[in-house]
Amino acid sequence: MTVTEFTEINAAVPARNVLEALHAVIDPELGLDIVSLGMVYTVAVVDSHVAIEMTLTTPGCPLHASIDADVRHCLGQVPGVGEISVDLVWDPPWTPDSMTPDAKRSLGFFY
Amino acid sequence: MPRLGADGAPPVLPIASLVLGAAAVAALGLFVLLDPAALTGYLGTPRVVALNHVFTLLFVGMVFAGTLQQLPAVMFVTRLVWPRLGWLTLPLLLAGSVAVVVGFATGFAPAWLAPGAAAVSAAWVLMLVQLVGTARQRWPKDAGSHALLLSALFLTLAVALGFVLAAARTTPALAARVGYPVQLHFTIGLFGAFLLGIVGSGQKLLSMFALSKGGAQWRVRWATVAVTAAVAAEALAAFARLPLVTVAELLLAAGCALQAWEVLAILRRRLRKRLEAPIRRYVLAHVFLPAAGLALLLGRGDAAVILFLVGFVGLAVSGMLVKILSFLTWTWQFAAATTGGVSGGAPLLRDLVKDELEPIVTWGLTLAAVALAAATVWRADVLAVLAGGAMLLAGAALFAQSWHVVVVTVRSKRRLAAAAAAKSTRGKMEDAHA
Repeated sequence: MTVTEFTEINAAVPARNVLEALHAVIDPELGLDIVSLGMVYTVAVVDSHVAIEMTLTTPGCPLHASIDADVRHCLGQVPGVGEISVDLVWDPPWTPDSMTPDAKRSLGFFY
Repeated sequence: MPRLGADGAPPVLPIASLVLGAAAVAALGLFVLLDPAALTGYLGTPRVVALNHVFTLLFVGMVFAGTLQQLPAVMFVTRLVWPRLGWLTLPLLLAGSVAVVVGFATGFAPAWLAPGAAAVSAAWVLMLVQLVGTARQRWPKDAGSHALLLSALFLTLAVALGFVLAAARTTPALAARVGYPVQLHFTIGLFGAFLLGIVGSGQKLLSMFALSKGGAQWRVRWATVAVTAAVAAEALAAFARLPLVTVAELLLAAGCALQAWEVLAILRRRLRKRLEAPIRRYVLAHVFLPAAGLALLLGRGDAAVILFLVGFVGLAVSGMLVKILSFLTWTWQFAAATTGGVSGGAPLLRDLVKDELEPIVTWGLTLAAVALAAATVWRADVLAVLAGGAMLLAGAALFAQSWHVVVVTVRSKRRLAAAAAAKSTRGKMEDAHA
């Protein structure tokens, strides 16, 4: 399961609150949120600037633009968040082990 | 990183192409119902050739063409070059395909066939140039992308050879020079274009939709080599009169076996145990590969072609059509939505699909393939009627599904936009009141 790393420097908003807000970003194909899917690697908050490092299930994922836009939309509604940057990374690649047990179960992973 | 809709062709082009492709299946079913006896007699008649081209050009060809306006950007992770070329190629392809079908249906009429075949050939040459131009920006290294590139090349060659065949019918001098290589036209079209297209795109798409770690590059690479070698052997058999037909058949069987193996391997490595109905249809399609091989071994070449074309290609393409259309329309409407994606009220992709239509498509096409193959073996009109009815039902359901996906997505977006506008107006009024 992915353990998201947090960095806070003079943070205007706690990084954990930012991660909590990202639970609202749903992958339209899988119907699960990107945090439960284990896609969020790091959350850094410097002053009011929030930087997210995340991945997708596959590099060619056609939904990346909409997920990126949704991340910005959701974080834009968090009080204290100013500038937002979203970096898509492919290392480490997403694997099933990245998901939370509940996410795996809802995808039928365990039967 | 490419974005669907922004980096591919204008989305309305591939969407229209996919929906029209779905409608062609229903049209084919209707034509079979209207003239079932055509399929239980000699299969080289103009009417049967016309039916064949409704399926290959108007269904598979249109879906393939529509997909090629978007898929390369995703597979090659680059931007589609000349995205507006689709405004020329897709109408050209549609008009040309209709003209070819009419030309065959009216008894190999050159007045329809010549401009039709020229238009289809020109459209595919332009699409091939566009595809290669796109790939050159960031040359793909994976075997799936190479198979996809080759399939587009083979489809262009198949269409061009079809043009030559049609011309040879009315030009004895040409017929004397090139002969009448129908078998080569079949091999290039069915295997070089359709099988490799499914091999290439399927490895990426099935892995993506099943959340699989993917299959093996070597299997896709060798399937591509086998099919390409089979086409070369068939060409040598046709033009150099070399006894290589059996070699070609063995190579094609190897290519098909590798594809079936690859699909099984992808499924074994998938994380998503419950596959969606269109993906299950894509997987089920592969059952028709050994069935077609068996029919060929039993000396039933016509039945083998039908099982391969309607069963394997029909099920695989119709399955991916629904998934690709869902992605395309969703991204078209919501990728740049200021209201957010699903968090802002956009539907999930699976909510765009009407579940009850899927079994009708899957089992309708399956029944149509089996009944059609049986009709050619036993020369039974009743089986052809059954096949026509099943195909009409499956085609109507596929068209309804495609239409539903587009309409539901567009309506969802409009509803959200209206709600956002109302909220904004309410906010302004409250501010003014305050």
